[in-house]
Amino acid sequence: MLAPTSHPWTSDQTLAEHLEDRGVSRREFLDLCGKLTAMLGLASVVTPRMARALEQMRRPSVVWIQLQECTGCVESVIRTSEPSIGDLVLDTISLDFNHTLMAAAGHAAEAALHSAMEANAGQYILVVTGSVPLKDDGIYTTIAGRTAKEVLEEAASGAAAVIAVGACAHWGNIQASNPNPTGAVGVSDIIRDKPVVNIAGCPPISDVVTATVVHFLTFGRMPALDIDGRPMFAYGKRIHDQCQRRAHFDAGQFVDGFDDEGARKGWCLYRMGCKGPASFSPCPIFQWNVRTSWPIGAGHPCLGCTERRFWDTMTPFYERLPQVAGFGVERRVDVFGGALAIGVTAGVAAHAAATGIHRARQRKQLPVMQKPPQDAEVNRGQD
Amino acid sequence: MIDPKEPRLQPAGTGGVIPEEVAEATHIPHPESLPEYRWVYLWRWPLRVTHWVSAITITVLIVTGFYIGAPYFTTWGEASSHYLMGWARFLHFAAAGLIVAAAILRVYWLFAGNKWARWSSLLPVQARDWRNLWRTVKYYLLVRQESMPHYLGHHPLQQLSYTLIYLIVIVQMVTGFTMYGLSNPGGFFHTATAWVAPLFGGIQTVRFTHHALTWLLITFIPLHVYLAFRADVMDREGEMSSIFSGGRFVRADVKFEDE
Repeated sequence: MLAPTSHPWTSDQTLAEHLEDRGVSRREFLDLCGKLTAMLGLASVVTPRMARALEQMRRPSVVWIQLQECTGCVESVIRTSEPSIGDLVLDTISLDFNHTLMAAAGHAAEAALHSAMEANAGQYILVVTGSVPLKDDGIYTTIAGRTAKEVLEEAASGAAAVIAVGACAHWGNIQASNPNPTGAVGVSDIIRDKPVVNIAGCPPISDVVTATVVHFLTFGRMPALDIDGRPMFAYGKRIHDQCQRRAHFDAGQFVDGFDDEGARKGWCLYRMGCKGPASFSPCPIFQWNVRTSWPIGAGHPCLGCTERRFWDTMTPFYERLPQVAGFGVERRVDVFGGALAIGVTAGVAAHAAATGIHRARQRKQLPVMQKPPQDAEVNRGQD
Repeated sequence: MIDPKEPRLQPAGTGGVIPEEVAEATHIPHPESLPEYRWVYLWRWPLRVTHWVSAITITVLIVTGFYIGAPYFTTWGEASSHYLMGWARFLHFAAAGLIVAAAILRVYWLFAGNKWARWSSLLPVQARDWRNLWRTVKYYLLVRQESMPHYLGHHPLQQLSYTLIYLIVIVQMVTGFTMYGLSNPGGFFHTATAWVAPLFGGIQTVRFTHHALTWLLITFIPLHVYLAFRADVMDREGEMSSIFSGGRFVRADVKFEDE
């Protein structure tokens, strides 16, 4: 999605020929293959195979449809100041249809979409950003008079693979959060007949999209997925376990405020409500903006945006635990737990006192105890 | 009945006596009617081991767990020279392993143990225990104390509360190992607990549940210790010593529901 190039990738060119045209050396290309192999968590013996597959590749067709979303994912992908070759590959193959970036509009755009889908039926990769609102017959997102659900189903019917990019396409994101007024759902809730890869995150890291596409082009299938449909190579580890601030967590060194000594020293953001221990993402490794930084690296706790329903379950973002619902916003579980423990202890004390009083009363009512027999005195010595 | 003319010290195991000053303190009306005591061996070693391992590990788990939930100490200096949270987590996980071992022993003992330790005496499943439940409640409300049903093992309220505690501990184990599994995706604990987070509606809810149920366990401690001491003081039937020695001295003339 760069500026229009004077060397478009024509359909009769292989990728190797095209990269040569663009002035990309073979060394740089192999460097990319090596990086992608490492990113995918594969052994380095795969690199030659990947290089062969990619260099012989004809221009693949990618259709990128955008549904109920903020366009942030596209913005994230194109906000690279010096595009790497990986971005170049992705940009080059993504040009068939993307309504934010394409020059065409209106009927011309629709015609481009349909011609791309017809010409490459059964072979194109469908990238989806945005959720699908289902409530009230899906009227909350319509494109060219058709609902998001119809657009998605039509586009997916001829796709070789479906990649759901971003939290909206993953599970519905903020619009699907409580109370979900538009009935928004993710792509995998609609497309059941073919595997959907979820590139989770709000927004996700563009390198993950690149690597997933390259994996598909190299091996003809999608990478291994976790139970939530996310590629294992990227979402197989917790942020917490890859974090550069982890040593401060283990040592017990925590930030208490965004301007305190700990924050200046780059300590752990656990007390600030960091959701790194609950979130799976390659953020600490891949990072953003040409590996410049990432949220925790910049001193902000992780919000957990790669996890389902994070607006509902990871909030409050600056607290460790969710709050007790229905008791006012400031109440926390420790207040109730502590009150319960104190209440029970007080109850125990009260019960003990009541037992004593009860006992004393009973004692008064009992007949006066008779004296023990005299010989008991003798026996007492033996006791 | 003991003949008051006879020496009042009996060999252990054949029945016993209570010292006179104790008899006075408890207002047992007449020395002639002093009951004969007998010793009943209730809790064999697996049950006592389960109890004390649980008591120690739950204490460790509560202290380290609250530190992990809200680390109230901060260390200073180089991170490499400290391992405070690391140790807290290590102790938490080690204690968790121990209590799981104790729980496995207890589950085995639910089926292999004697009739006071078996599952049928722990869960309130018998009609007799449900009938006695209300009488037990009234006893603790200090009404109609004399109608208290006598149990050698657990009375109906104990059965209910211990079943609840066991359930809470099981939920704590499941939620705890769900969070533990996150550090090794694809590993045994992560795979085995994959169903938990979706069931609770997210890993943060799992975390919250683990934290909130800890308070219920804390609440149980004063109740449990108080009622055990109270039974020891009021009934004088060796409630406390039974969890150390395994046995109780009980009055020979008392009819027990679960004998």
